[in-house]
Amino acid sequence: MSALLAQVHLSARRAMRQRGELAVRVAFYALILVIFSALWSAATKANGGSIAGYTAHSLLWYVAAAEGSVIATKPRMIEAIGWDISSGAIVTEMLRPASVVGLRLAAELGEALVRLVASLAVGGVIVWLYVGPPPSAAGIALFVPASVLAVGCNLAAQHAFAGAAFWLRDARSTWFLYQKLVFLLGGMLLPLEFLPTGLADVAKALPFAAMAYAPARLASGHVEPWLLAVQAAWLAALLACAGGVFRAGERRLEVVGG
Amino acid sequence: MTVALATLRTAFLEAWSNRRGFWFQIGIMAANDVAWVIFWVLFFRQVGTLKGWDTHKVLLLFAILTTVSGTGLGLFSNSRRLGELIAGGSLDAALALPTNPLTYLLTRRVDTALLGDLAFGPVLFLAAGDPTPERALIFVFGAICGTVVLVGFLVALGSVTLFAGGRGEQADLGFQAILIFASYPIDVFGGLTKLFLFTAVPAAFVTGLPTSLVSSFRWPVALAAVAAAAFFALLAVTTFRIGLRRYSSGALWTRA
Amino acid sequence: MLAISTTELSKEFRAGRGRDRRRVEAVRDITFTVERGERLAYIGPNGAGKSTSIKMLTGILHPTRGEATVLGLVPWTQRRELARRIGTLFGQRSQLWFELTTRQTLHLLARIYRLDAGDARRRTDELAELLDATDLIDQPVRSLSLGQRMRCELAATVLHGPEVLFLDEPTIGLDLIAKQRFREMVVRLNEERGTTVFLTSHDVADIEHVADRVVVINGGTIIYDDQVGRMRRSLLQTKLLEVRFEEAPGPLEIDGVQVTRESDTVYGLVVDTRRLSVREVLDELLDNHAIADISVVDPPLEQVISEIYGGRT
Repeated sequence: MSALLAQVHLSARRAMRQRGELAVRVAFYALILVIFSALWSAATKANGGSIAGYTAHSLLWYVAAAEGSVIATKPRMIEAIGWDISSGAIVTEMLRPASVVGLRLAAELGEALVRLVASLAVGGVIVWLYVGPPPSAAGIALFVPASVLAVGCNLAAQHAFAGAAFWLRDARSTWFLYQKLVFLLGGMLLPLEFLPTGLADVAKALPFAAMAYAPARLASGHVEPWLLAVQAAWLAALLACAGGVFRAGERRLEVVGG
Repeated sequence: MTVALATLRTAFLEAWSNRRGFWFQIGIMAANDVAWVIFWVLFFRQVGTLKGWDTHKVLLLFAILTTVSGTGLGLFSNSRRLGELIAGGSLDAALALPTNPLTYLLTRRVDTALLGDLAFGPVLFLAAGDPTPERALIFVFGAICGTVVLVGFLVALGSVTLFAGGRGEQADLGFQAILIFASYPIDVFGGLTKLFLFTAVPAAFVTGLPTSLVSSFRWPVALAAVAAAAFFALLAVTTFRIGLRRYSSGALWTRA
Repeated sequence: MLAISTTELSKEFRAGRGRDRRRVEAVRDITFTVERGERLAYIGPNGAGKSTSIKMLTGILHPTRGEATVLGLVPWTQRRELARRIGTLFGQRSQLWFELTTRQTLHLLARIYRLDAGDARRRTDELAELLDATDLIDQPVRSLSLGQRMRCELAATVLHGPEVLFLDEPTIGLDLIAKQRFREMVVRLNEERGTTVFLTSHDVADIEHVADRVVVINGGTIIYDDQVGRMRRSLLQTKLLEVRFEEAPGPLEIDGVQVTRESDTVYGLVVDTRRLSVREVLDELLDNHAIADISVVDPPLEQVISEIYGGRT
């Protein structure tokens, strides 16, 4: 356990040092935020002040929270993991006396947390200037742990997804597909309330909702604490899944050869 | 002219040589585009109309966007990595040939994934753009103007590497910015941002103007589109040419 | 007409940033001529100015001072016209399209150089035969070994029948056999087609096996320019042997050999090849001692250069 925590710490320190890269990513996030703020403000105004139960105020806090939570993870991680697996580079990690996927997750978590804090700080300022303070203090209080859980779920799911590379030869472009699933079914591009009712229920039951919708819903002023429980459950399930996929994959590598 | 076409054809052959990967990437891109269409349909389902934009018009925008990016970034994919290529020495290889180095570099590589966009765009237009022969003609015209602006903008940015060195990061940022802004209905943005989109980051000319032309053709707007295309083409060629002179004087190098 | 002619060709760079900006003279007062059909080796250590020189001669770089003509054309002002009549092979850069076959690249090059289609096909086949690459040109370039790829690169470089061939460090990374083969091909091209060869290298063996003339550049200036035959006679007369004996041989004395004892069993021998051959030394050693290992090397370029500096004959 301490090895994993040390890894988290190490990656976080490294990410904090790479200020240029961090700045670019946060600037990018700010840009998207500015665009979506314009879009959603105009949209709600044109619709008499609210859409699907959200006001411009709550929508903008939704977007900042959703984007921030997702953007904390690297977009092409699945591609990078897939490459490490198919090129055989992962074999060297298998020689270490710790869980391959555990160490990787810990490393990614460290970096992601740094990005999360930086993005949310900047995003928070931007949206505050645009529409004012968050709609609910309780919501924000719940949002903080929810965003961390969201990042955890995202990382675990990506590793499980990327594990397909142990069996397929070139699963690298699939990150694109995964990203769209998170964008649409995870509620990052639009709140799930925008989906037709049947689809919305299905989406809320999928793990993607834990990665963006859950924290964003809380930040937008809807105090629904059970969302945290849902996230925690998904996190456990996804971690188990990622662990299982990697274990099976590693066994396959040992038997078949890299 | 035929040399450029021959180079482009060879670049396509190279992308095509990995058959399985080729179709896979096209498929993924198409799926990506479908996801965006779903987004917009859901958005306008709730919102109705927004500053003169509705589902129909935004899908038109998206059709233009994908066609333009499929051409500018798919067929002429080196346009966005010109800075990187220069920093890596590929310009020398181009200079060893009896051709125009810029044309050669631009036609030297085809990006399979973005070809998916080029396939998707026109199909979307035919499906949701209310295609009449007249509108189709304007669509093609608009897409061409938009592509020239996009490629010109990226080439000009990339050519800065000839003056200032670096690895083309400025072009990368410019590329991300222009593509993002070009993906949304321009009327959503406020006055200052809108001005920005007609100048520093010319996203308005990449998709905004072409879309409005197909939607309701007006001669002044068409002329503006052509003028913008001509301007960015000239900007690109001039920046590159002057930059090449500096490059040949060795301003970038410090040792043999 | 001369193939290449330069007069006081010089190139100055501005290096460093801000306050440490300084002028670096990469190449200074380079003057030499190359006759048509000659094979010239342009030799020098890393950083000597070889690449700068060749870039100026091929039109990529403008000189700060001086003049040069290649086939009567000024390279940096008539680059495209010159490009049709010369071929360039830069050892660390490939002009073959990686995922395609060499033939496909040649097909495109034929279009670029405006060769007639039938003509191009004939030349492709001829070159493939000349360069022992007939079974290689229809394979994807990525599946070729480096040695095989360099032969195909050579084909691509000379497809359009250039009158001058510029080769910049073409044998880097090749194993000994591949190097030999490559050199043979270059000589073949020169002998059968009269192509002038301008080869830069920091490998002394390139002088011996390819060139009939050698120009040595060091620190940006030419320090030696002569026929290889004469250089061989005056300078390249030593070979270095490193010998490891099974057991300490004690003091070693062979006429014409300078012996350095590096350890009890390892000795370095510098053989004066004017006085006796390496073969004779080896025979002497093997007859009288139990040898564990021997290696024979050419003197390094640095030694040749310091000999040049030390005493011109």
